[in-house]
Amino acid sequence: MSEVFFRTKDLSTINIMNEQDILNKILDHFGNKVTGNVKREKRVELFATTNTIEDVLLYAKHQLSFIHFTQLSCVDWIEEKQFELVYIIWSPESKVTILIKVRVDRENPVAPNIDYIWRHANTFERELREMYGVQFEGLVGAQDFILEDWIEIPPMRRDFDTAEYAKKTFFDRPGRENARDVRETIRQNSGEEIPEFAKKYSR
Amino acid sequence: MDIWKLLLTGSVTTVLAFVVGMLYMGLRRKITARVQNRVGPPIYQNFLDVMKLWSKKSSINHGFMQHVAPLWMIATSITTLMFIPILNNGSTFFTNLTFEGDLIMLLYLMVVGSLGMALGAGQTGNPNSAIGVTRGLTQMVGFEIPWVMALVALMIQHRTTTVAGLLDVQVQSGTWLMLSSPFAFIAALLAIPGMFRYSPFDIVGAPAELASGPISEFGGKYLGTMMTNGAIFAFVKLTLFVDIFMGGASNLGFLLLKTFALYMFPVLWGLVSPRFRTEQAVRFFWGWPVFFGVLGLIQAAI
Amino acid sequence: MVNDKESQKIVDIIQNFARQSSLFVLAYGTGCGAIEIPPTMTSRYDAERFGIRGAATPRQADVLLITGYLATKSLKRVIRAYEQMQNPKYIIGFGSCTINGGMYWDSYNTINRLDMYIPVDVYINGCMPRPEAVIAGFAKLQKLIQAGKADGWDRYQKNLEFYRGNQKKIIHNWVMPDYNW
Repeated sequence: MSEVFFRTKDLSTINIMNEQDILNKILDHFGNKVTGNVKREKRVELFATTNTIEDVLLYAKHQLSFIHFTQLSCVDWIEEKQFELVYIIWSPESKVTILIKVRVDRENPVAPNIDYIWRHANTFERELREMYGVQFEGLVGAQDFILEDWIEIPPMRRDFDTAEYAKKTFFDRPGRENARDVRETIRQNSGEEIPEFAKKYSR
Repeated sequence: MDIWKLLLTGSVTTVLAFVVGMLYMGLRRKITARVQNRVGPPIYQNFLDVMKLWSKKSSINHGFMQHVAPLWMIATSITTLMFIPILNNGSTFFTNLTFEGDLIMLLYLMVVGSLGMALGAGQTGNPNSAIGVTRGLTQMVGFEIPWVMALVALMIQHRTTTVAGLLDVQVQSGTWLMLSSPFAFIAALLAIPGMFRYSPFDIVGAPAELASGPISEFGGKYLGTMMTNGAIFAFVKLTLFVDIFMGGASNLGFLLLKTFALYMFPVLWGLVSPRFRTEQAVRFFWGWPVFFGVLGLIQAAI
Repeated sequence: MVNDKESQKIVDIIQNFARQSSLFVLAYGTGCGAIEIPPTMTSRYDAERFGIRGAATPRQADVLLITGYLATKSLKRVIRAYEQMQNPKYIIGFGSCTINGGMYWDSYNTINRLDMYIPVDVYINGCMPRPEAVIAGFAKLQKLIQAGKADGWDRYQKNLEFYRGNQKKIIHNWVMPDYNW
């Protein structure tokens, strides 16, 4: 039974690489087009460009067994007028996570589409298109992902003021215009005192 | 025959069927709740539900057939009720319209209500309704076969096609047909849960997966009519079964006792059973019930 | 006799009694509060003993529970479900998010005050309200129905312009069918 269901590879035959090996292999293969460093144990950080990101992902997937695409996320560096796309991949053999960071221009954010490498990258790309306005070349998928009928600038950008938008669009209940403790308002309206044990949780 | 007396007895029978059916359904909810370690609603909760549905101020329909479908169903149920002798003591009061050959007609009449429901649900355009109707008709194909086999066996054996005739046979011989024709009885008994559409055969109106199936677009007064119809039709099925297999009843007390005992069979079975899929339900009905139906037919032929 | 005030009053009392003792709740969980409904319905708190039971579709339901925060996307579905229900119908706003936005008061995608979009009969405060609070809210609703004061459906019909205006303010692409009561 155990042989059938818990068949494991013979550990001596596969070559488990450590973080430094992985980093060296990638840097050797791509020369000066990719830079990187070992952040800490099991964590490698790479810096690529929109031109080389597909090659890096393909090389890591097919040559270094980084078969799991964990996430594609985005950071808004508004001071540097750039978006930073973070591709997170993971290898089940070496248990190492690689963060590949790609900077794109904030005014015209265009990145290559990678959903032919991992199908589920399509979902992350649609989300970034909606939430940050990052365009992926040749991305196929419905334009609306989570939001419906959104007419403002993409809401996760840092220059989008969500509190102001909420104030403008939705209706505030009096006493809840800001983040202050509403228990004070409740106390004034109802006339009940805040219990002693609850006061230490006040802001 | 006096038409006024017929009308009077007919309306009394209908009211009796409604009240008894509603109380049985309330009891079912109560028993379900007790089995699940709950207190449960009061027994008269179903009356309140129907009253509430009838005091709704608006009722939307999507067309003529949907408007007619609940009326069709309740008309069919009351018509079926009129052809069933309620008591076997020879009084004309509860005998209503029973006539020679009515058992064959009842076999057809009892599925007409489902047909009306299928037509009405089809007009709503709700996909859940369409799936529910498909499942319901498939399931009907399943349970009708052992049910018809059992009744045909009795008809052949006793050379009568009347419910009253079968009642007479039981009264004169002194034994119930469930004892003298056990195979037909078992076949019919196994078909009863399919008729009631209780679990495990509640594939038609499965609330979790089909959003109550055919009745998903019926609200307000339409739903109230359908619940009324459900109560009356439950009484119809129980009384017919008691008349045929359990010797009928000489007074209302015995009638309630026997129908309640019979009603507990699908209820208690349903409480401990998860839901079948459609093909599992049909496979069930075409398995042992049909086998017992064939045995019943052989017994009748011998 | 039909228009006689006294007899109509008696009919109202009977009808309201039936309405308050049989509440079919639409099983539609909009937010995180939907997780409080299963313990309310099952054997620990057993709401069925008060005549509260689930209904599968809006057509059969009387009560719409708005369980928690309401994104603008799900507001569209709630409005649609609410308009499919048959009069008289009631809404229970459930949790802080329906009252003032709760912890999502400054979110770009969740509404703050539910009663500006659909008429709410009873609010249940808390984040989350426990099943006892839910049952207390239902009891309050039953009292209101018996007194004839749970008239949210009537307010919705009379102030349809107001509610529609607020709804269309955040639902830009209005593709829903017309309201037919």
